[in-house]
Amino acid sequence: MDNFYVVSFNSTHHAIRTEKLLEKNGITITTMPTPREIAASCGLSIKFDISQIDQINKIMKENSLERRGIFKIVRDDQENRKAIKIED
Amino acid sequence: MSIKVDARGQACPLPVINTKKALESIDEGVVEVRVDDLAPKENVIKFAKSINCQAEIISENGMDVTIKITKSKDTKIDIKDEDIKCDISSDNSYIVAIMSNKLGNGNEELGHVLIKSYLFALTETNPLPKSILFLNGGVELTTINNATVENIKILEEKGVEILSCGTCLDYYELKQALKVGSITNMYTIIEKMNDCSKVITLG
Repeated sequence: MDNFYVVSFNSTHHAIRTEKLLEKNGITITTMPTPREIAASCGLSIKFDISQIDQINKIMKENSLERRGIFKIVRDDQENRKAIKIED
Repeated sequence: MSIKVDARGQACPLPVINTKKALESIDEGVVEVRVDDLAPKENVIKFAKSINCQAEIISENGMDVTIKITKSKDTKIDIKDEDIKCDISSDNSYIVAIMSNKLGNGNEELGHVLIKSYLFALTETNPLPKSILFLNGGVELTTINNATVENIKILEEKGVEILSCGTCLDYYELKQALKVGSITNMYTIIEKMNDCSKVITLG
């Protein structure tokens, strides 16, 4: 898999609410387990296309949805994955 | 005195049992065991060490390996043939049977999220299952649930066989809605489950 972006959550409820709202607004997303590179705990993340970031931020802000942050998951030369926080 | 055991082509635990028989036939000396797969090699060495025999690899050509086992007078073999188990299995294949449109009992909404999450994570797993069987409410995942269909398609592209229960598709009137994999019947489902050493059932 190539580089991708995720919104990562601390709360499963906020993750599910965000998923529903984004889908209602016609944004294509994939709900996935939080990548190990972000947190070892069991959590949910939403994978999205970077072109949608402004709209996602807007919807999350309007609905007071909390998150761990937005992360970019990248692969280095050795195929190791790394998570870079790009927004809180 | 040296006894040669040719265990090539034999499935576990036969190589170990034949090694044991050869060792039992002598008071002391050397038994050379030839194997041609990783699991028998590991299992034979492990067995030899467990009965305090020396084991060393004397020739190795790819998977074709000869192990030299040295038995001394005070080696005791007190394990029965039927107790010999293969700790290292060369067959790590498995199939997954999904029996419901959600994962586990409890909150329904959470169950839907979890099954989606599971199928996503499965696409990144190694080794992948040989097949995934979808039964009862599980057929929703190969038909009307777009999020899961997408990940199941990725699994199919990676070589995982995707099978949905025909009776179930028919019952839920979802036959026309099948988006990934093929339709199967109970006979095939039974065969798939019987042919595989490990079946993971979710639902």
